[in-house]
Amino acid sequence: MDPFSAEGELLNIHNAFHSGQYQNVIDFDAAALSSDNQLTARVLKLRAQIALGQASEVLADVSGEEASPDLAAVKALAQQTTGDAEAALQLAQDLAENYPDNGTVEVLAGTVLQAQGRSEEAIALLSKHQGNLEAVALIVQIHLQQNRSDLALKEVQAAKRWAQDSLLVNLAESWVGMRVGGEKYQSAFYVFEELASAPSTSAPLSIVGQAVAELHLGRLPEAEAALTAALEKYPADVELIANTIVLNVLAGKQTSDLESRLQQAQPSHALLVDIQEKSKFFDGAAAKYSPRVSS
Amino acid sequence: MQSSPNMLTKFESKSSRAKGIAFHPKRPWILVSLHSSTIQLWDYRMGTLIDRFEEHDGPVRGIDFHPTQPLFVSGGDDYKIKVWSYQTRRCLFTLNGHLDYVRTVFFHHELPWILSASDDQTIRIWNWQNRSLICTMTGHNHYVMCAQFHPTEDLIASASLDQSVRIWDISGLRKKHSAPTSISFEDQMARANPNQADMFGNTDAIVKFVLEGHDRGVNWVSFHPTLPLIVSAGDDRLVKLWRMSETKAWEVDTCRGHFQNASACLFHPHQDLILSVGEDKTIRVWDLNKRTSVQSFKRDLDRFWVIAAHPEINLFAAGHDTGVMVFKLERERPASAVYQNQLFYITKEKHVKSYDFAKNVESPPMLSLRKLGSPWVPPRTVSYNPAERAILVTSPADNGTYELIHLPRDATGAVEPTDVKRGQASSAVFVARNRFAVYNPANQQVDIKDLSNSTTKTIKPPAGTTDIYFGGTGCLLFITPTTVVLFDIQQKKQLAEVAVSGVKYVVWSNDGLYCALLSKHNVTIVTKTLEQVSTLHETIRIKSATWDDAGVLLYSTLNHIKYSLLNGDNGIIRTLDQTVYLVRVKGRNVYCLDRNAQPRILEIDPTEYRFKLALVKRNYDEMLQIIKNSSLVGQSIISYLQKKGYPEIALQFVQDPQTRFDLALECGNLEVAIEMARELDRPNFWNRLGTEALAHGNHQTVEMTYQKQRNFDKLSFLYLSTGDQEKLSRMAKIAEHRGDFTSRFQNAIYRGDVEDRIQMFKEVDMYPIAYLTAKSHGLTEEAESILEACGLTEDQITLPSTEEALRVAHPIVPTFKANWPVKAAGHSSFEKALLGEVGAVDEEAGADVFDLAEEEQEAVLARETLEDEEEDASGWDMGDDVNIEEDAEFVNVEGAEAGAGSSEADLWARNSPLAADHVAAGSFDTAMQLLNRQVGAVHFAPLKSRFLEVFKASKTYLPATSGLPPLVNYVRRNVEENDNRKVLPHIPRDLETVANADLQEGYAAMRANKLEDGVQIFKRILHTLLVNTVSSEAEVEQAKKIISTAREYILAMSIELERRSIPTDSEEGLKRSLELSAYFTIPKLEVAHRQLALMAAMKFAFTNKNYSSALSFANRVLANGGSTKLLEQARKIKAQCERNPQDQVEIEFDQFAEFDICAASFTPIYSGSASVSDLFTGAKYQQQYKGTVCRISEVTEIGAPASGLRLFVPGQY
Repeated sequence: MDPFSAEGELLNIHNAFHSGQYQNVIDFDAAALSSDNQLTARVLKLRAQIALGQASEVLADVSGEEASPDLAAVKALAQQTTGDAEAALQLAQDLAENYPDNGTVEVLAGTVLQAQGRSEEAIALLSKHQGNLEAVALIVQIHLQQNRSDLALKEVQAAKRWAQDSLLVNLAESWVGMRVGGEKYQSAFYVFEELASAPSTSAPLSIVGQAVAELHLGRLPEAEAALTAALEKYPADVELIANTIVLNVLAGKQTSDLESRLQQAQPSHALLVDIQEKSKFFDGAAAKYSPRVSS
Repeated sequence: MQSSPNMLTKFESKSSRAKGIAFHPKRPWILVSLHSSTIQLWDYRMGTLIDRFEEHDGPVRGIDFHPTQPLFVSGGDDYKIKVWSYQTRRCLFTLNGHLDYVRTVFFHHELPWILSASDDQTIRIWNWQNRSLICTMTGHNHYVMCAQFHPTEDLIASASLDQSVRIWDISGLRKKHSAPTSISFEDQMARANPNQADMFGNTDAIVKFVLEGHDRGVNWVSFHPTLPLIVSAGDDRLVKLWRMSETKAWEVDTCRGHFQNASACLFHPHQDLILSVGEDKTIRVWDLNKRTSVQSFKRDLDRFWVIAAHPEINLFAAGHDTGVMVFKLERERPASAVYQNQLFYITKEKHVKSYDFAKNVESPPMLSLRKLGSPWVPPRTVSYNPAERAILVTSPADNGTYELIHLPRDATGAVEPTDVKRGQASSAVFVARNRFAVYNPANQQVDIKDLSNSTTKTIKPPAGTTDIYFGGTGCLLFITPTTVVLFDIQQKKQLAEVAVSGVKYVVWSNDGLYCALLSKHNVTIVTKTLEQVSTLHETIRIKSATWDDAGVLLYSTLNHIKYSLLNGDNGIIRTLDQTVYLVRVKGRNVYCLDRNAQPRILEIDPTEYRFKLALVKRNYDEMLQIIKNSSLVGQSIISYLQKKGYPEIALQFVQDPQTRFDLALECGNLEVAIEMARELDRPNFWNRLGTEALAHGNHQTVEMTYQKQRNFDKLSFLYLSTGDQEKLSRMAKIAEHRGDFTSRFQNAIYRGDVEDRIQMFKEVDMYPIAYLTAKSHGLTEEAESILEACGLTEDQITLPSTEEALRVAHPIVPTFKANWPVKAAGHSSFEKALLGEVGAVDEEAGADVFDLAEEEQEAVLARETLEDEEEDASGWDMGDDVNIEEDAEFVNVEGAEAGAGSSEADLWARNSPLAADHVAAGSFDTAMQLLNRQVGAVHFAPLKSRFLEVFKASKTYLPATSGLPPLVNYVRRNVEENDNRKVLPHIPRDLETVANADLQEGYAAMRANKLEDGVQIFKRILHTLLVNTVSSEAEVEQAKKIISTAREYILAMSIELERRSIPTDSEEGLKRSLELSAYFTIPKLEVAHRQLALMAAMKFAFTNKNYSSALSFANRVLANGGSTKLLEQARKIKAQCERNPQDQVEIEFDQFAEFDICAASFTPIYSGSASVSDLFTGAKYQQQYKGTVCRISEVTEIGAPASGLRLFVPGQY
């Protein structure tokens, strides 16, 4: 039986993880779980730790247990997160070769591969999954990152046939929806709003989702309200900061404070990197022009 | 009877006897009713039969068009009157009642009445609206041959074989059929006492006069259009003129001349002439005042039956035994000559006038030529001699005469010329300052005469010469029916000849290099040495032509003004509602003479021909200018460009992807072609792109197109020929996947992969060949295993002897790594002009050469390294193969489909031509290019923050899987849209924000006197608007308004800031300060702010004792009004200044003059003086600042060629 199905004992921890409530995942009492699920729960807890930035603790935790492919995959992810990209890649590729059927390996090694820009390898590994929703979600994300919303949509629709109500499928569908736009913005908004408004699932992840959807729908005041409230609660969440910057620019407000905050929290954030890159690009492009007569 | 040379036949038809004719009042149509029962509708201008109406039984004699409705009426020998619609092309109804042939039918000019005359001795009036007979007029006692309404009064004239003409009063009928309210008491009395009732008691129509004088039956009668005159024609061969008053009518005179029955007659609508036709086969024209014959025209065989006049145009039609002819009595082309800015022409009154093109004024008459030729014949040509201020006029009267007349010094009125030299000639032209040539066709001789009219030389022109024209200095052009000959008068020698038939007019270009030969339907352009340049044909008659200063021929046909370039490209410029004769083109004005010899100015749009001319002359700057300033980009221009071999220019205009694709292929611009093919994404386009790319040697593109088309075989071959082993092995894998053995075999051959071939043969059970292959390649083990599998031994098989196996050649040059050096699909110079790079062309060309050299070097290097590697190639190959095997696991059969798509940002840039959208897409380089083209932006640094702002706002970050970067989504302004081809980015700080927030902020800075901040704020506004989009045309206007407001404020603030920075302790400084403070009041600020500037200027001037200036400022403050405190101050100062309105310091400020302030030097630019302006802001500058960066926007180049800012694309929202 699928351990994540509605009756499964892992449902709660699983949903908590995917709605971004990482602390809840860590605090989850795993003692009561059946022995089969112990490992899965542990992996989830470790991943939550990584998500919260405690990757080095995780590395220490799993050291010596690399024999288990699951934990090895966690290690690869932790290595990736701490910046040891080479080792992470090596490990991920080994795992992908040796344990391509292990769900954890698929997802975590796939994540590592994708994070290193090896999308084709990642997809190849992930497409071997047997009913692993996380893999589906990851595939969807990779397709979207490659700007292939058509393929992403296909993937989601295929998954919906066998996992209608799953949180992950809903999320993945919303991701696609945010790309497709039009009416899909609104349906994506509903998914995120539902998650964000229920205390059991509310987390920066879902609030950001809700705010971003609103932003795309052109409802700036609502997006602002959501983001401001969330920022007070989670002042260090980079995506919250990044999207607030976007919102403020759209609303014609100053953003330099937020930008320096983001710079501190995550200098490698796509927003900052992009702007830096474009700034250089601008200078280069602008240098090609000059007035016929310099004054 | 000689036929008059002046009767000009415009149209002739062949048919059976024409009994009735009617002109359409507006269209070039004529209805002809025939003796054969047919009614024909002709277009006499085109000479085509439009329609035929055949419902009458027997001859149709009467016919008439309704003056306004699409109707006509006919009456025939079947006693019937039929009313027809020429729109629905059928008979609407028939009026029955006449008891014998119907002779004539006419519509009333305003009432819904039809008048008919019949052999049943009655005249009847019918109401065609209720289709009833409303009046029957009896009185004639023989056939009534004709009955006509008076053109304005309630009268009818009728002619009968009873030898009388009767005039009927039908005012009673009109009253009866109009509203009763208008009936006065007297009228009622009159009607109650019908004392004048005829014998039948009929009061509707009463005989007013009976005109007796004809000795035989009268065939026709007509009223004069304006005078109380009547003309009639009878079988007594006479045309009689009658006059009538209120009470009586009498015979005036008789025109004698017809020697057979006179069938019809009428008055000339505009001139004092009578026209008549008769069975003596003549048309005769009579002088109304003298009753003498003016001219006549005779047909050889055909008797004339009827004549009709066009109500407006100077046209007549006459019907005869074998058809109809449409003719004019005289030429309507006014004689004219152009010299520089002067037009000399002869009016209808035979006055010589001049017209000044520069001033657009007409002179008073200078001379009267009343005595030239005969009174009814206008002069044909005029030739002008500027040196002697003389004219040479020819008239066709008396077989051609000419007169040489000196023009008076000043035009004082239509004086009779005093000193006139005259002679016999059909044509006369000045050929030199003191010589003119006359041609006399009678003796076929051209005389060269001096100004005293004595012959100095005689020339024998070629046989059959019809006309002579000026042929360039010292030369003449002889026109014969088939050729034009250029003749040198001095050398008496023929210089050149060109075969052009039927030339009627010759028009020289202004520079004298080209000449247009006009014939009825052809325009031939020749050089001054008669080399033919181009020729064109018109179906409509060509009337006149004139040359543009740029060397474009403009010509007029009956209904169009058209142009022709030297290369023969022609087109329509505008339509004409009446025929005109072109004399001059100046800018957008065409000067011409109309048929009344009145100068007229017609507006034209010369854009199209100027563009084409610029194209021909490769004058790209001019083209750019035209493109910018007009909306000429239509389908026709695009197809023109394409047709003329300028696809790369056409490409600039086209949006439609398919056309773009075609054009791109045509001009070899593969980049664009690829882009368009992607957009279209249909196999057909990929196929064509592939072919073209192959021809270019651009094999990377070829590869892509083959992939798109899934053309595996071609792909394999391509890889083979480019030496791409890796891809080739991937193709082998794909073939295996697809189970396509042929393809697999092919690939194996290409790769020299023996094992795979053997494997494949085994798979398809072709063991013999597999064995043979293995054996011949020395793979003994493999061969043995095959034998084993087949259960055979080696000696059971006889093999043909094989030579050494063919080795697959290894690629020496890694062609696949890069394209062949492809010819740079460089910008055409036009594109460069568009990009404002014209000046840089040469440098770039130099750079290209350099690049090429470098490339070659690289290529050599690459080859060398490769050759080094070649030695251990075998070992290398093996390793490579292994790798491929691993890779091959992931070979995606759907190769063409996988891979990254294009991001939405790319789509934005593709979907929009607006700079802001490109910025949002992060495509800063194209955005800059657009801005450079649109507003001449060259200094982008100030825009950086705006660029980054727009870019920053373009996407959001949606966290998805933990451990991976967030998903990027793109913020659209068209939220509802999900069609990829239409999505567009949201641009922050829309117009509303700018208007409501930024502008107010700027105003606040002005009020608070924070001018430095203010300047920055307004500049920011400019930059924000420069990179922006709006949602409607109205908003475009609003944006423009804000731009100009910002410009005025920046200018004003900069002036004031400049003033503050100047110390006033020196005299220079003080003067400059005073000037600047005065200039500060010039920019158009909000009134409240202008008051601030004025108050400051006033006080400053006042404290420096410039009372006159202070006074003017005070007056302006008072005129503007405002707070009482302000006005009070102004009033005080005004009072003070008025006591001594003198300026202590002389400053350059004229309070009364209109001027702008140069935004760089802060000096005045008076209206009319030269200046340059910045296209984006509209700021004005002194000339020397051209090419520098605009001080107001800090971005754009002053005076740069640019097309104007685009903020809005219709249909985008």
